[in-house]
Parts: sequence; C-alpha cells; structure tokens
Amino acid sequence: MRGLIRSAIIGLAAALVFAGAAPVRAQDFPQLTGRVVDEAGILPGNVRADLDAKLAALEARNGDQLVVVTLRSLRGETIEQYGVALGRAWQIGQKDKNNGALLIVAPNERKVRIEVGYGLEGTLTDAASKLIIEGTILPRFRAHDIAGGITRGVDDIVRVLSGGSEDLQRRAPAVSPSPIDRVAAALGIPVALAYLLLAVVAVAVCALVGWLFVTLFVRRLVATGALPKRQGGYRRSNRQDPYQSANWTGLSTLPGASGSIGGFGGFGGFSGGGGSFGGGGASGSW
Amino acid sequence: MSYSAVAAARRRRFPIIAPTLAVLLGLLVSGCGINRIPTYEEQAKAKWSEVENQYQRRTDLIPNLVETVKGYAKQEREVLEAVTEARSRATSIQVTPDLIDNPDAFKKFQDAQAQLTGALSRLLAVSERYPDLKSNQNFLALQAQLEGTENRIAVARRDYIEAVRLYNTELKTYPGIFWAKLLYANNKPMAEFTVADDVKRTPQVKF
Repeated sequence: MRGLIRSAIIGLAAALVFAGAAPVRAQDFPQLTGRVVDEAGILPGNVRADLDAKLAALEARNGDQLVVVTLRSLRGETIEQYGVALGRAWQIGQKDKNNGALLIVAPNERKVRIEVGYGLEGTLTDAASKLIIEGTILPRFRAHDIAGGITRGVDDIVRVLSGGSEDLQRRAPAVSPSPIDRVAAALGIPVALAYLLLAVVAVAVCALVGWLFVTLFVRRLVATGALPKRQGGYRRSNRQDPYQSANWTGLSTLPGASGSIGGFGGFGGFSGGGGSFGGGGASGSW
Repeated sequence: MSYSAVAAARRRRFPIIAPTLAVLLGLLVSGCGINRIPTYEEQAKAKWSEVENQYQRRTDLIPNLVETVKGYAKQEREVLEAVTEARSRATSIQVTPDLIDNPDAFKKFQDAQAQLTGALSRLLAVSERYPDLKSNQNFLALQAQLEGTENRIAVARRDYIEAVRLYNTELKTYPGIFWAKLLYANNKPMAEFTVADDVKRTPQVKF
C-alpha cells in the first residue's frame, strides 16, 4: 500500500512536470469562415464570390473540399509547417476519405503552397501541385496579379481533382482509421451509430454489473437477516425512474452520441469534415 | 434510534450506493487508463511505420533522380556518388519492428538517413547550375516528388515524436505508471529523434 501511495505521489509530480514541459503548439489559426478565407484582405468581393461558387461546385460534384486561404502572416513558421497544422486544425476533407486540399497564399512572406490531404495525394500529386504553382500561379503573382493567380490556380486544381474516374479510383484509402471506424465499416453502419451502440453497450454493462451486485449482495443480506425483506412494489417505481432518466441524460452527453456525421455544415455554413493531412503538396515563392 | 429507523436508513442508502459503486468500479477499470498504454503504443508504432514509409519512398525515388541528373551533369561525379553511397548505406540497415525499442539501432538508422538527406540536398543544389537539367520535365517532377517526400518525412517525424512523447509520458506518470508496473512490465520507453538530426537536415552549401 505504501509503495502504491509513493508511486502515486511520484506519478503526480511527474505529471505536473510533464504538463509544464508540454510543447507549445501554434494555435493561431484564422477562423474558417467559408471556402475562401481572406485573412490578408487581398481578394475583391466578386473574386471571393466567384471562387466560393467554384469550390462549392467541386464539393457537390465529388465531395472534395478545397479551401482558399490568404494569410496575414505565417506566424514565424514555414509555410509547410503552417499548412499541415492549418489543414489538420480545420479538418478539411471528409473524415473517412481525407479528401481535402488548401491553396495557401502568404503575400507578406511571398509564399504559396498547395497542401494536399492524405486521400488526394494520388490525384493531386506533388508534381501536379508543383506544375500548377510554377506554371500557373507564380507567373501571375510576379506580375502583381494575385487575384488572377489564385483564380487560375483554383481552376487548375479543380481540373486535376475532377479528372477521370480512374483517377478517383487510384486514390489512397484513409491512412489510419480509428477502431470505431473499422467496426462501423465492418458492420456497414454509420460511425455515429457505432458510437451510439458503444455507449449503449457500455451503459448496459454498467447497469448489468450494478444490478447483479445489488441482487446478489442484497439477497445475501436479506437471507442472513441483516436487511428486512422488501414490502410492496412502490419502491420500484420510485427508484427506477431517476436511474433511467439519469442514464438517458448521461447518454446524450457522451461524445459522438449526438451523431455529427459532418462535412457539409448544414444551414449554409461551411466546416471541415474531419479530414487529415500528411504534408503532401508543393510550395513556391515569388 | 429504534431498529426500524436504522433499517429504513439502510434501505434508503443501499440501492443507491451499490450500483454507484459498481459503475464507479467499471469506470475506474475502463476509464482510468488501463487501455491507454497499449493504445498509445500502437499509435506510436503506426506513426513510426509512416516515418519508415516515407523514408522508403525517398529511397525509391533516388535511382531515377540520379540517372536523370547524370544525363545532364556527368561531371558532378563526386556528388552523384555520395548520393548513391549514402542510399546503399541507408538501405543496408535492416529495418525491423523493434528498431524503436533499440536506441543503438535507431541511432544508426537515423544517422544513415540524415547523411542521405545531406547528400540529396547537395545534389539538388548542384543541379541549379544546369539550365537544361532544370527545364527537364522529368527532373522537375522528380524534384517536386522529392521535396514533397522530404516534407512528408518531416511531418511523419513530428507526428511520431508527439506519439512517443504521449506514450513515454504515460509510462512515467500516474495512473499510467501504476498500470505499467502492474500489467505492462515489458513496455519500454521508445526512442525519439534527437534534435541534432533536425539540425543536420539543412546542410550548408557553399560555392
């Protein structure tokens, strides 16, 4: 017992030390206000609307999420580091397909990057991204036509992403689905339902254990005479109800039980669908 | 207090305390980290295989790149040989799953890859001097893929470092340390990339 307490104290101290030593990550991301996030304020309104329509059409066509973002600053990081972090923070692309991409422009650092999600790396390859940046975007940027470079660059990316069906089939599968995703895929049910099932099973197991405990223990106590026999059934109705309502409210606060399949953000808004990024794509500077 | 009052108090308390205890016990076992060590271990291993994957991808790109550069810049024999040599040294290291539990082998692997990184960036720097090579489509595509792969390696390494940090922390902190002593006595902390390797990644090229 003493050893346990000692290890607990040491562990607690170590936890404090490690909590202090945890690396500080860049958390400074612009808000994902739509498919075009013009933090640097370099895009005229009509260009933004035009881009937004193209990007929405792309997603409606094959589900790929492409987001254009202009940055006021790279926050002291390289555009490669910032791009992956931003893509992951915004979770662009659908969770099971990771089919998101970002066109990132940092005018103050004169850097541009196409950041490609895991699932699109086979379609929008590094070489294709490089070609778009070097051949389409940078010449216009160098001629001080930022809006034109972005618009034509988006056109090219959309063209590559809308390539033939064989392109679509070549796409790599999601890199590491979580166990619950795999279970859901094996059973052929939506992920949210799998979470719900898991929650129900967990509650059921807890309830069963509690019930067994109560039944056996109380029965033994009753048998030995330590506890008087129950009389009447009123207690059942009194006691069950709070439990059931507690279970139900508990269930609804469990993560995942609310059923966010996500991706397209109802109500006209826009949000990422849980896609992830692994550093694919290409960068350039002008 | 009369007997019946005591019994009533017991009756009131019991059906609430017992299931609560049972639920708490269940939560303790499943919620308080009994699964966290193997989970983090698997995550770190998965991240490591991604690192390996990307290094392998780079290794696969090299012969093609060397051939392409050779076609335009034969006189850069020294640089080309350095790349080929570094590649064969890197591939000669057996990559086994227990590499991450073995600090010595891990360091060897890491050093060999760092050397290859240095040789490759020298080759790409030298290529800048050959306009014909620079405008060759094949070379451009290879260069883009190599840059992308280097970036993926960097991302995969960062992810691995983070996963290992979580795992190693879990092994050393409460409540993980308790489960580690009790159930996972064979789990060792995993090797991390040293900072020195990251510094080595960007060698100075002077002409």
